[in-house]
Amino acid sequence: MIDSILLVDDENLFHMVFEDACSLLDISLSLKAINSADEAEIYFKEIVEKNKRKPDVIFVDLNIIGSSFDGIELIRKINYDYGDGVVIGIISSSSDDTEISRALKAGAQFWMVKSDEIEPRLEDFKKDFEGYVTRINTFKIYK
Amino acid sequence: MLKIKGNLRGELLTLYKEKGIALEGSILKLIDCGSDEELSNYIKEVSEKDREIRKKRLEITKQIQAQNIELKELADKNEEHKKQLEIALKEAEDAKKKIELAKKEVEQDLNILQQKTQNQLVESIVKVSLSIIVGIAITVTIMFFVKEDNQIVESAWSNMFGILLTNSFSIIGTIMGVKYASGGKGMVPVQTCKYKP
Repeated sequence: MIDSILLVDDENLFHMVFEDACSLLDISLSLKAINSADEAEIYFKEIVEKNKRKPDVIFVDLNIIGSSFDGIELIRKINYDYGDGVVIGIISSSSDDTEISRALKAGAQFWMVKSDEIEPRLEDFKKDFEGYVTRINTFKIYK
Repeated sequence: MLKIKGNLRGELLTLYKEKGIALEGSILKLIDCGSDEELSNYIKEVSEKDREIRKKRLEITKQIQAQNIELKELADKNEEHKKQLEIALKEAEDAKKKIELAKKEVEQDLNILQQKTQNQLVESIVKVSLSIIVGIAITVTIMFFVKEDNQIVESAWSNMFGILLTNSFSIIGTIMGVKYASGGKGMVPVQTCKYKP
C-alpha cells in the first residue's frame, strides 16, 4: 500500500471522490489534497526547508483554475527544483497528445484520464506503483 | 502496525458498544489485533461500517460530479447559443442597413428617371409646339408672296407672329423659373404652353 498521496486539483468534489476511491481500494493510507499549483509549490518548499517526508505519489491536474501556472509546469518545478524519488503524474479529463508529450518532457511518469469510473485506473496504477518507484516502468497512460 | 492494549482497548470497545462511536479511516488499516478476537471483531465491524459510509459518499459525490458536468455542458451550450444569436442579430442588422441603402439608391434612381422623363416630355412639347408655329409661319409667309389676297394672310401672319413671341417668352420664362426653383438641378414639374397656336 502507498503511504501518502498528494493530489493537486482545483475541484473539491473530486478530492472527495479520489480520497474515497483510494481508501476503498486500499491504495493509500493518507491523502493530502491541495487546490492550486501555487499552494503545492509552497508545500514543497516547506518540505525541502524543514526536511519533512515527501509524498510517495503526486497526482497533478492539468488545468488548475486559480493557479499562476499549469500542472505540467508544477511537475517540472517539483522534478527539477525539489527533486528525486517522487512518483509524479497528471490526472486530467483531457487526453490531448500535445499535452501528454509536454508532460513527458516535464518528467511526468504517467497520465491518468479523469472520469466517473476512476477506480479501475487506480487499481492498475496500484499494481504499477513499485515499477514507478524503481524507475523500471516507462511512461504510461491510464485510459 | 499499532497495538492497542490495556485501558485504551477497553475504552474503545465500551465507547462503541454504548454510544456507537468508533475509529474510522486509514487508522483501522494500521491496527494489529494479534490473537485478540474481540478487538479483531471490533476492527472488522467498524472497518465494514467505514467502507459502507465511504461507498455511499463516493456514489453521492459521483452523482453530484456528473450533475455538475451536465450543468457545465448546458451552460457552455447556452453560452454558444447566445453567441450564435448575437451573430445572427448582427447579421440581421447589417442586412437591414444594406436593404435601407439599396432602397435609398433605388429611390434616387427612380427620382432621376422621373426627372429625365419629365425633361424629355417638356422638350418634346416645346419642339412640337415650335415646329407647328414655325411651320404655320412659313406657310403663311409663302401664301403672302404667292396670293394676291393679302389682307387675310397679313392678319393671320401677324397673329401667328404674336402667338409665337408670346409662347416663346412663356416657355423661356417657365424653364428659367423651374431651374431657379429646383436649384439648377433640372426641371421637375411638367410644363405646357399657356397658349396654343
